[in-house]
Amino acid sequence: MKHIVKIMTLLVAISAFWMSLLQTSLIPRSYTWLLPLYFIVSLGCYGLLMVGVGLMQFPTCPQEAVLLQQDIKEAKVFLEQKGIDVSSD
Amino acid sequence: MELADRAVGFLLSFISTSIFTYYTFWVIILPFVDSDHFIHKYFLPQEYAILIPVFAGVTLLCFLSVFIGLVMLKSKKKKA
Repeated sequence: MKHIVKIMTLLVAISAFWMSLLQTSLIPRSYTWLLPLYFIVSLGCYGLLMVGVGLMQFPTCPQEAVLLQQDIKEAKVFLEQKGIDVSSD
Repeated sequence: MELADRAVGFLLSFISTSIFTYYTFWVIILPFVDSDHFIHKYFLPQEYAILIPVFAGVTLLCFLSVFIGLVMLKSKKKKA
């Protein structure tokens, strides 16, 4: 509940700022109309950028992968001894 | 395996930064440039700067609602 209140207050603050920009013509009018659309597009771009950067920096831990394969082999041997069928068909 | 991940990540970030710079140029910098500068050839007319994101957003919303509707229909059919 608290998280959505935070998001709502942020949205209200941004729209109040935008409307005050419209009233007092600090910036030429055509800019002020385009500003929300520009922010939405840049937010989407920022999300894509974070996804791309996270993908590039993802750690793969090759040693852990080898240890995991060994664990899987041991578990398969153990379970087959006990009589459970663990073939991957 | 990780090279393919790296390549996809790099492609995504490249696409996003290029879209961002192109859109920034289009909306913010271009109105200040004189209308007979050569740079205007590389950018579409200004109305498209509004039409294309709105069109993409509407397409995304339609796609999402169609997808949700299909999933709901499929789950109803399985239960009945």
